Amino acid sequence: MVAGMNAGLPKPSQVVSLQDIPGLRGMIVEADGAVRIAAMTVHAAVAAESRLAGGLAVVREAALQIAHPAIRNMGTLGGSLADADPNADYPCALLAAGADIELAGPRGRRICPVDAFFLGRFTTALGAGEIIVGVKLPPSALEETSTYLKFSRVDGDYATVSVAVRMGWRDGACTAIRIALGSCGGTPIRVPTAERALVGTKLDVAGLRIAAGAYVAACDPPSDFRGTADYRRMIIPGLLERAVRNALNADRGIRS
Amino acid sequence: MSTDRTTLSFHVNGDPQAVAIPIHRTLLEVLRDELALTGAKKGCNTGTCGACNVLVDDVMIRSCLCLAVSVAECKVTTVEGLARNGRPSVVQQAFLDAGAIQCGFCMTGMIVSASALLAQNPAPTRDEIRIAISGNLCRCSGYVKVVDAIELAASRFRQGNAAEAAAMEIRV
Amino acid sequence: MNLDNVNKVDGAVGLTMSRLEAWEKANGAAIFTEDMVLAGMLQGALALSKVAHARILGYEISAALALPGVKAVLTGDDFESRYMGLVVKDETVLAKSKVRYIGEPVAAVAAVDAETARAAARLIEVIYEELPAVFTIEQAVAAHAPVLHEDFDSYFKIYDASTRRTPNELALSTLRRGDIVQGFAESDVILDQVYETSAQYHAYLEPAAALASVDGRGKVTVWSSTQSVFRTQANVHESLGIPMAKIRAVSPRVGGGFGGKSEAMVQPIAVALAMKTGRPVRIALSREEDMSAMRSRHPVRTRIRTGARRDGTFVARAIETWFDGGAYADDTAAVMNFALFFGTGPYRFDHVDLVGHAVYTNKLRAGAFRGFGNPQVTFASECQIDDLAAKLGIDPVDLRLKNLVHAGDRWIGGQVVATSGLEECIEKVATASRWRDRAAKPVEAPDGKRRGLGIALTAHISGFLSTSAIVRLAEDGSVSLNTGAVDLGQGSDTALAQMCAAGLGLTVDAVNVVAADTDASPYNSGTNASRVTYMVGRAIGQATDVVREKMFKLAADMLECNLADLELRPGGFIGVGGTDHSVSFAQIAAKSIWFADGGGPVIGTGSVMHNEPLDPKHTLLAGFLSFDNVGALTFGAQVVDVEIDETTGKVDVVEAWCAHDVGRAINPGAVEGQIQGGFVQGLGYALTEEMVWDGGRLTNPSFKHYKIPSSLDVPYAIHAMIVEVADPLHPFGAKGIGEPPLIGAAAAIPNAIAAAAGARVRKLPVTPERMLRALRFGADGVDV
Repeated sequence: MVAGMNAGLPKPSQVVSLQDIPGLRGMIVEADGAVRIAAMTVHAAVAAESRLAGGLAVVREAALQIAHPAIRNMGTLGGSLADADPNADYPCALLAAGADIELAGPRGRRICPVDAFFLGRFTTALGAGEIIVGVKLPPSALEETSTYLKFSRVDGDYATVSVAVRMGWRDGACTAIRIALGSCGGTPIRVPTAERALVGTKLDVAGLRIAAGAYVAACDPPSDFRGTADYRRMIIPGLLERAVRNALNADRGIRS
Repeated sequence: MSTDRTTLSFHVNGDPQAVAIPIHRTLLEVLRDELALTGAKKGCNTGTCGACNVLVDDVMIRSCLCLAVSVAECKVTTVEGLARNGRPSVVQQAFLDAGAIQCGFCMTGMIVSASALLAQNPAPTRDEIRIAISGNLCRCSGYVKVVDAIELAASRFRQGNAAEAAAMEIRV
Repeated sequence: MNLDNVNKVDGAVGLTMSRLEAWEKANGAAIFTEDMVLAGMLQGALALSKVAHARILGYEISAALALPGVKAVLTGDDFESRYMGLVVKDETVLAKSKVRYIGEPVAAVAAVDAETARAAARLIEVIYEELPAVFTIEQAVAAHAPVLHEDFDSYFKIYDASTRRTPNELALSTLRRGDIVQGFAESDVILDQVYETSAQYHAYLEPAAALASVDGRGKVTVWSSTQSVFRTQANVHESLGIPMAKIRAVSPRVGGGFGGKSEAMVQPIAVALAMKTGRPVRIALSREEDMSAMRSRHPVRTRIRTGARRDGTFVARAIETWFDGGAYADDTAAVMNFALFFGTGPYRFDHVDLVGHAVYTNKLRAGAFRGFGNPQVTFASECQIDDLAAKLGIDPVDLRLKNLVHAGDRWIGGQVVATSGLEECIEKVATASRWRDRAAKPVEAPDGKRRGLGIALTAHISGFLSTSAIVRLAEDGSVSLNTGAVDLGQGSDTALAQMCAAGLGLTVDAVNVVAADTDASPYNSGTNASRVTYMVGRAIGQATDVVREKMFKLAADMLECNLADLELRPGGFIGVGGTDHSVSFAQIAAKSIWFADGGGPVIGTGSVMHNEPLDPKHTLLAGFLSFDNVGALTFGAQVVDVEIDETTGKVDVVEAWCAHDVGRAINPGAVEGQIQGGFVQGLGYALTEEMVWDGGRLTNPSFKHYKIPSSLDVPYAIHAMIVEVADPLHPFGAKGIGEPPLIGAAAAIPNAIAAAAGARVRKLPVTPERMLRALRFGADGVDV
């Protein structure tokens, strides 16, 4: 908003700051392992949260890759989600993580699952007068890993394509998986049918390629400074495969 | 243009300040135009270049993206506040000695970033240094001697007196 | 007078020291133009054209004038038709009767604060009669294309433009040596390829800014972020018709230029507003305005042919190159000619045919940018040579070594190559990068990646135009050095002080470097063309020679001995050899100014113009600028190691070795910094930077969309290697370094990519998408 004002865009008639409202910062781990991150928590704080591990590491990894250090000290989780920039990192990561968005407004509080929150470019399910209060992440099971893979032209740029993965792995097979694709349309997307087809498999290359094909077909990538729509379709399969491999190897600290 | 004004009270480089400003002014504008602290620069005014970096309550932020009213009662540190009694801080001296400074326009923001890094992490790896300054664009140096300077500052900082270091706060 | 022992003892030259002004830059005290405040100062803002090509029918400025706080509004109607420009005088202070590009300044406002000035500028309406426009070279040279400059023939030019064939061409130049037809006939192998480069933005961190003030006698002072106070003065003089005696141009600290600030843009406008309001006026462009309204590097399309014998001997080189100059001529003809001048690279070719076209289009003007046409042509030449090496089955380094130009050879235009450290440069980078080892056994890339090494050689010059220096002895024996050279941050103040100190046996802190000021400084054409260390250094050498001579005569008198008995001693003394009888500079100064037989204040001046005219018997020239005074040829070699991601096409530079012959490194640390910084600017040019137009609209005028390298986009190690083969004309043997490192990167990186990928992208920047398409489809051309 301030950048827009600096560029001469019309100023908003009123700006209300949330910075002094108590209880809107910080992260709490609940008894069952669910994690709640308050809306005014800055990216740097999330990026430093070692408690975001296993199936929740994807959220921390996304925060770590947003823009630059100074921006990570200023930008907030709530701000990023409300903005719903198609190229942003949090929406894609939270979609894979399976978050619930907690809202508060004149008519009280409500929960909106992340699958229903992002409606389009810069458009969310926020009603008039509502603010985001926080995000609740389902607990991470022992068998879970996750990762956020961001491909950009130069460091710190918005993603050209991003892939977020949250999965479970036991006895040599996938027990559950959520894959979110970002920067490839108005909102990040999942393809649940493709995800279900991977459950019970060894996540081999052939299977991942089929899943990637479904994501390519389902997305609506833009052509912009970072690449054409065609280019994005070309690289999605390789990046999806890489993200899943990274998640699989996450325990062992292996990255590609 | 906006007629709504307010008086902003805050601390800048250790001095209390109270300035009457239109409410939509950015912190960068207030520092430069009201307080004549021109060390922070307006390189892009959109938060992408880092030349405007300052510290607010010891946290590094983009002053061009910060509404001044949001730092009421806060402690702001600019590059002008890093020197001690007119003598270079450890970071500043290292930048001089490593030959990192060319045109200098990005360097005030760079030095703020380096100071913030070393206050939190006095023994950074080369990778951590590169990440810490990844939001500071430089067109002259190619970054190599800047990283060298920060490594030099870190090694000197570690060799220095521990009590003195503790007293230095953010002024690495 | 023997200087050698003085240099060794004193060591001012060859000393790595930080910039003289480094401390003020580190503590925020350095004053750049937008930091300056004068009493009563107003702020200026510009209204920029929103249409690409139109006649201006009128202006609606009443709403702007009525805004409270607005003190003046100026449009083209407020000025007579006066033209400025270094090579072609085709620009006016504000658009007058026509606009020719989106972003062209059409009006200017002065108001009590920046916000008001900008709001007023947004209220200005310009009534246009839109005209058809041309955005590409093809459109511009097509039959019946709309003409941008109907009065082109009447503009003052410093070259013969009669060779041009269509109304929007502004120059058509040819350089010919030997017989190209015969040359290709003698060749066993001929490669014929097209290479394209994109427009690059200078992206200096400090946007353009100027502050102008008029005093009680009507004298104008203009402070600005400029590469030349004399060019600023000239542009203000020409565009506003003010006599130079009434214009003083100075510069505070400048936050980078790279060629973008050699010529004017905001200064004449600031001056005009100051004169209109009677108050100081400061204009500072926003980043978006700077990108939209100043200038870019020329996007260029080059068809290049090289003919060689089977054994690798080069025989023939032909180039036809097209420079898109944008809406105003700026330095375009010179840049294009310069590219032709380096069309052979540092290689021997008996048969050469080089043709260059420069064309007007309705886009942002293109002008000087670090390399000045050379990066575009060296990219084409070095890449083709690598392809030739592959075709002939000869190692790329060996092929180059076989055909190198050497000292004593004659360059295009006949200039004799005075010195060359090129072989040493090649040897250094080949050894350091383990070129031979890796050619025999390539480094294994991890799964999904490819690795490769590439080499490029650079030839460039230090020099151009004229320069002078004044050295004055102060009463305490220190000296004042005044050269008119603006330090953009590349370190010239420091290097010049080091040379002046060394010439007199003083330490650097005994030299007062006077800031460039058209009132007080002798003429210096500008800080560009890698010229300051070299050209200004020569002028300083002359000036210190004069000062030494005068001091020696006075000393001989004071010590009652012969001149031949005297020697210069470090620290400001002249003494009788073999004794401890000496006088200090302070004593000499006192004699000179207080005593009847002192002869008056000791001053030395130097005045230099490089004089090596092009020889039309050696090389046929047509439509070509007179490069009478090009300069000293300088050479370098770079090897780059890249890694390519097969999934995304992204190219990472893993490591770089850059060896440059600088003659003599006055300040080795500063030379390293220039090599590293130039390399990274070249890395951006090669991989990520591209100004993109949609018709006439620049679509990415911000750092958000136009990406320059950050600290995480550059290799950990950029090895800057200094080679020193002394130049005969310079007092310390030094040559320049500003531009060559960028030129090298722009060619070495694409060569490394081709080696790693087995596929070549012939268009810069090699974006991930272009690379991926080349990898997947072997798209070996410019259509990606």
